[in-house]
Amino acid sequence: MNFDFTPVWDNIPTLIEGTGYTLLIALFAAILSLVGGLVVSLTTLYGKKIFSYPLRFFIWLFMGTPLLLQLYLLYFGLGQVGILIPALLTGILGLGIHYMAYNADIFRATIQSIEKGQTEAARSLGFGRMQTLWFFIVPQAVFRALPQLGNNMIIMLKDTSVLSVIGVTELVLNAQFEIANTFRPFEFYISIAVIYYMLNLVMETSLNRFEKKLENRR
Amino acid sequence: MDFALMWEITPLLLKAAWITVTISVMAFILGLAVAILLVIMRSASFRIIRWPSRIYVSVIRGTPFFVQLLIFYYGGAAFGINLEAYTAGLLAIGLNIGAYMSEGIRGSILAVDKGQNEASRSLGFSRTQTMISVILPQAAGLMIRSLGVLGVIVIKGSSLVSIISVVELTYQSQRIISSTYKPFEVFAVSAALYLILIYGVISIVDWLYDRYTRHLHH
Repeated sequence: MNFDFTPVWDNIPTLIEGTGYTLLIALFAAILSLVGGLVVSLTTLYGKKIFSYPLRFFIWLFMGTPLLLQLYLLYFGLGQVGILIPALLTGILGLGIHYMAYNADIFRATIQSIEKGQTEAARSLGFGRMQTLWFFIVPQAVFRALPQLGNNMIIMLKDTSVLSVIGVTELVLNAQFEIANTFRPFEFYISIAVIYYMLNLVMETSLNRFEKKLENRR
Repeated sequence: MDFALMWEITPLLLKAAWITVTISVMAFILGLAVAILLVIMRSASFRIIRWPSRIYVSVIRGTPFFVQLLIFYYGGAAFGINLEAYTAGLLAIGLNIGAYMSEGIRGSILAVDKGQNEASRSLGFSRTQTMISVILPQAAGLMIRSLGVLGVIVIKGSSLVSIISVVELTYQSQRIISSTYKPFEVFAVSAALYLILIYGVISIVDWLYDRYTRHLHH
């Protein structure tokens, strides 16, 4: 047994850069998955059949297959149809679309959980169908969905690590780059595990605090 | 769509899907064993036994499974241990999911009304007897649900062991895609296999749930 963490310490800038990319990817994928998830759930619930059925199929397909397989489809599939985009963008798209399906499922459940009386009251006050949806149903549904969405985003932050497989330079790939130079896999992987743990801790504590605040508001 | 290719690769992918099934089933069983141990440790009266269990769960849940897998496979060398890919993958999934399972099991036990425990104890049942014949049967419904969700996560997560070159469904799909450049055809077949596995597990879980909660809704 011999450990040597000095190579890790010497290459800390690479790991910091990787952490930056990981956070950036998580942020953009989160925005994509949340906005997209809401749009998808609204379409499956209220849209015309030609839109709602394919989107239902999308949710079913993407919740029933592994992220990695979807990433391969996107990575090779985009090239196949002649779309060449940077790996970083492919990664954000892949992760964002995967979690879009999960978020859409959450939104669908919370939208359906809003009492019918809300719609009836808004409609009888003269609001249109779209207005009712936008000003009464969606805000309440989003509010109810927040804890679950937060949990999903925490899981997503950890899943950004998988993107290294399709060549996205984030924390894992940056570590692997240095491992190739230093031959210290254990030390590097343990170090990035610590970084992920800290990121996760920050997100979990803030989500818990946020949830407490929400409870107090009720 | 190249249907001839899809027909041709189906036997190969079926064989690979069988590896996905076996590694998932074994990892699930290993996970259950780990989880039961963790739950028992967590309920011990001594802090020295309780804390390792809490730390284990926190570390496993706070770091990406993918990084844990890499540590298992590439990090072992630092201790002079070189695990075979299949063994490393199996251990990594089992030890990971065990932490989540222990939370699921604990959660469903804690969800049973406290009065049940008090009533049973005051009728003269011992702690163990109360647990086995009063608490666990009532916790079964919730427990089946949460373990079922984790079973699905195991199947999806097993796709990541393709990275350490275990020849399971995702590994085989990726290999065929990169040799045929037909991502959509290959995805269609392997997605179908994953969907059968995953929605199959979900239906079994739903059936079990109904069976064990029949007494709750006549």
